[in-house]
Amino acid sequence: MAATDLKAGLERDDIQGLLASGYGHLREARFLLLAIDDPALAGAWLGRLADELTTARAKSRGAAVNVALAASGLAKLGLPPALGKLSNRFLDGMTAEPRSRALGDVDGDAPEHWRWGGPTTAPVDLLLLLYAEDESSLATLEQRLTGADAGLELVERLDTQWSDREHFGFRDGIAQPVVEGLREGPPDDTIKAGEFVLGYPNEYGDVTGRPLVSRSADPDGILSTDEVSGDADLGRNGCYLVLRQLSQDVAGFWSFLDRVTSDADGRSDPDARARLAARIVGRWPNGEPLVLAPDGPRAQPYAVNEFRYHDLDPDGLRCPLGAHIRRSHPRDMLDPDPGSERSIAIDKLHRLLRRGRGYGSPIAPDAAPGGGAEDERGLHFICLCANIARQFEFVQHTWLNNPKFNGLYDDADPLVGPAGRSLTVQAKPVRKRVTGLPSFVGVRGGAYFFLPGVRAVRYLASIASPASATPAGA
Amino acid sequence: MAHVQDVQPPPTGRFEPGKAGTGASTDLPTIAGESRAARQIAVTIAAEVKPGRLSELRRTLEAMSADPASNAIVPFAALPRTHFARFVLLDATEDPTGEPIEPQLLFMSDVDKPESADSALEHCLGELVDVAGDGLDKLFGACSAYPTPSRATRPRRLAFLREHALAADASYINTVGRSVLQIRREEQLRLAIERFLDLSGIDWQDRTAGEVRGAIQDFVARQEELTWAGDPPPSAALGTRVADALQLVAVPAGLLALSPVLVPALPLFALALRLQEERDPAPHIAPSREHALRLAAQEDHGVQNQLNAVSSGGVGFVKPGIVRRVTTEVVLRGVEFAARHVYNHANLAGVKTIHSARWVFLDDRRRRMIFASNYDGSLESYNDDFVDKLWWGLNAVFSNGIGFPSTRWLFFGGTRQEQPFKDYLRGQLVPSQVWYSAYPDLTALNIENNSRIRVGLHGEMSRAEAEEWLQRI
Repeated sequence: MAATDLKAGLERDDIQGLLASGYGHLREARFLLLAIDDPALAGAWLGRLADELTTARAKSRGAAVNVALAASGLAKLGLPPALGKLSNRFLDGMTAEPRSRALGDVDGDAPEHWRWGGPTTAPVDLLLLLYAEDESSLATLEQRLTGADAGLELVERLDTQWSDREHFGFRDGIAQPVVEGLREGPPDDTIKAGEFVLGYPNEYGDVTGRPLVSRSADPDGILSTDEVSGDADLGRNGCYLVLRQLSQDVAGFWSFLDRVTSDADGRSDPDARARLAARIVGRWPNGEPLVLAPDGPRAQPYAVNEFRYHDLDPDGLRCPLGAHIRRSHPRDMLDPDPGSERSIAIDKLHRLLRRGRGYGSPIAPDAAPGGGAEDERGLHFICLCANIARQFEFVQHTWLNNPKFNGLYDDADPLVGPAGRSLTVQAKPVRKRVTGLPSFVGVRGGAYFFLPGVRAVRYLASIASPASATPAGA
Repeated sequence: MAHVQDVQPPPTGRFEPGKAGTGASTDLPTIAGESRAARQIAVTIAAEVKPGRLSELRRTLEAMSADPASNAIVPFAALPRTHFARFVLLDATEDPTGEPIEPQLLFMSDVDKPESADSALEHCLGELVDVAGDGLDKLFGACSAYPTPSRATRPRRLAFLREHALAADASYINTVGRSVLQIRREEQLRLAIERFLDLSGIDWQDRTAGEVRGAIQDFVARQEELTWAGDPPPSAALGTRVADALQLVAVPAGLLALSPVLVPALPLFALALRLQEERDPAPHIAPSREHALRLAAQEDHGVQNQLNAVSSGGVGFVKPGIVRRVTTEVVLRGVEFAARHVYNHANLAGVKTIHSARWVFLDDRRRRMIFASNYDGSLESYNDDFVDKLWWGLNAVFSNGIGFPSTRWLFFGGTRQEQPFKDYLRGQLVPSQVWYSAYPDLTALNIENNSRIRVGLHGEMSRAEAEEWLQRI
């Protein structure tokens, strides 16, 4: 492992652990959305928290703690807005009007209807991510870290529910990029660290723009120095964190599929229903991709992530061209040269490191009305990236929500896209079409955060609360 | 007026911010003769705005932008040969020497050249004056040299437009010769076939590809409004094809003839360019958030987008010196040649999302340039195509502009510096006050696929060919 570290030069001690792991072994998680009431107290609290943060070095045994800040949080802590190159998208926020349009957060999903993060709800300055092995340890952790002297106010507590399947019943989180230098992985999925961790070369060989502050603004020398400019490096080892609360209409999903696959007499056809669901996702519920198993899932799925599209299925006859997983990660299907390494190289510019967790109790596909179908359930979607515009927003706009993706005409993502579009199922001799798809996923909240390196957390603490600037445990 | 009276304004073609359309209309205007492919021309009119008239002009344009297709000033839908059109207000700025540049009103459109007309530009301007003469008075009346209201006759309006027309120094069109009418009709054809397949009540899965194709052919033949589809798509007129062929041969032949001079001179020229590249300043300047948001407010209302990149504030003007001057002129001619002979059908070096693009010098000294384009998808994805696929072409043209990210040997570096390039380009962008598309719901890929669906109605096909063709639907 030491050799890998040297090669990439990643400072694991300074990188928050979420970049290296989704903490899957810690089944209980809670995300706290907080507002900063008293910047000085909050700064002091942040300084104490810095000692507790789980890093990419530490083995997160028992519990994990990470922290991220919204643009408003950085401002409240006293980071002058003129300093440094924080991403415009981050500074504008997820709810800026052009962003809502590009992200598809319109109509019922528009920010004014959000439960949090919208224009009419309390501002969210800070995100505290807590993970533990069981509920009581999680409660203890939360209590210990959020005392009355923190200078913070709770805006929303996002509880999660562990499951190896998302609520529609499909294994999730299979295709994940691997951050080069933090882990080993297959070549197609191994992405330059700078695509996710600021301060390192990205897939272009460049260092993505990141916030720097003048050396004089860091008199205690908490931050490392950017070798090019000589400035203090606030961005190094940090990244942007996108959080969206997505509700899932499980009953609506299955009843729609049931209706469109019923025979002329209205009798359900469970096999056809399951096949159509798989075509919407691009995988069978066990995770097996249709490209490898077009006729049905095998009992023991293998190779759920080792495949490309072009050789096996250029025309979408196995897995529809507009299926969810072909959109969110097109692999080698991208112009100008599908099936080539060049195509893979372009795909690598738009990868998301997903770290979300489900919420709400699971429900069976055929749950009768009244069997919990009315309770809200969904996904606290989290993804990490270095470039919000090129990664998260691009995937959302150009791939998922785009009715013209892959040369189609009127198909948006059938699983997470807007209502009213179609699903074209390519077939021989000619395609079938499901038109008028409802929307199965709603947006209930969302915000862009900055997940700083540990030194940057200490620095932010120090500017809000100068007394706390005692670099502990460094 | 006679030649426009038989033209019904099509009900489609509106650009409605925030509203997704439902595809082309089935009620298409009739334009006499689709027998010959029309070559599109890039019309550009540039006029200096009179002092004190800018805000009034801005308000007028703003009112138009609510309904580009059918507004009272210039109802673009009444111009059935117009693919795209826009009005752009350029604020006062200065050139690199600090000399002030007055505000300008630009009009740009991509228009099918009518086969019958001797002068395509003259004909397009005539149509514009006939459809929107009063509107032009209102807009260009705020500009210097426009005839006063009492004197604004058709000939005087035309004369003004003619005098203020700028020839494109290079222009690209997705597919040379595919007219607005053809694009709309072929979408109508596709929609009809899709409906037929969905609603026929036939279980197609039991049929062979040949049987399905035969059923579609029969269906199309029965549709009165699709009789035009019985003919293959129009091809270019013989004269045009001969002229193209001659140019295709003449330019390389001319270069070959000049090679005794060019071959020894080229290394020296390249070296001189390389030395300048080392000295050219290329500061990385990020545009302000306000500027980026102002641009973004216009973007992503539909599947198509527009952009204008204009030299302003001393940035983007052609760098001083003979080497850059010559490079710019040669490269633009190369772009024009490639757009006509190489990238003339649905594919610009691997990028299939550009409907049209043009490069036009706005000043007599040929230093201030506008690059205007209509494209599919977001600005971010368009930029990514520049960075990932078209970097060499972008560098060859734009690295001659002041402030462009530094290049090596004209083609390398530059655009490949993702963030400096994206920031440079955004800094050069100005919004279009009014933007019109004749087919706002169609991507260039859709349009090309529709044409192939139509072509596939004709002729014999093997089973494999029929299977392949059916996958287009």
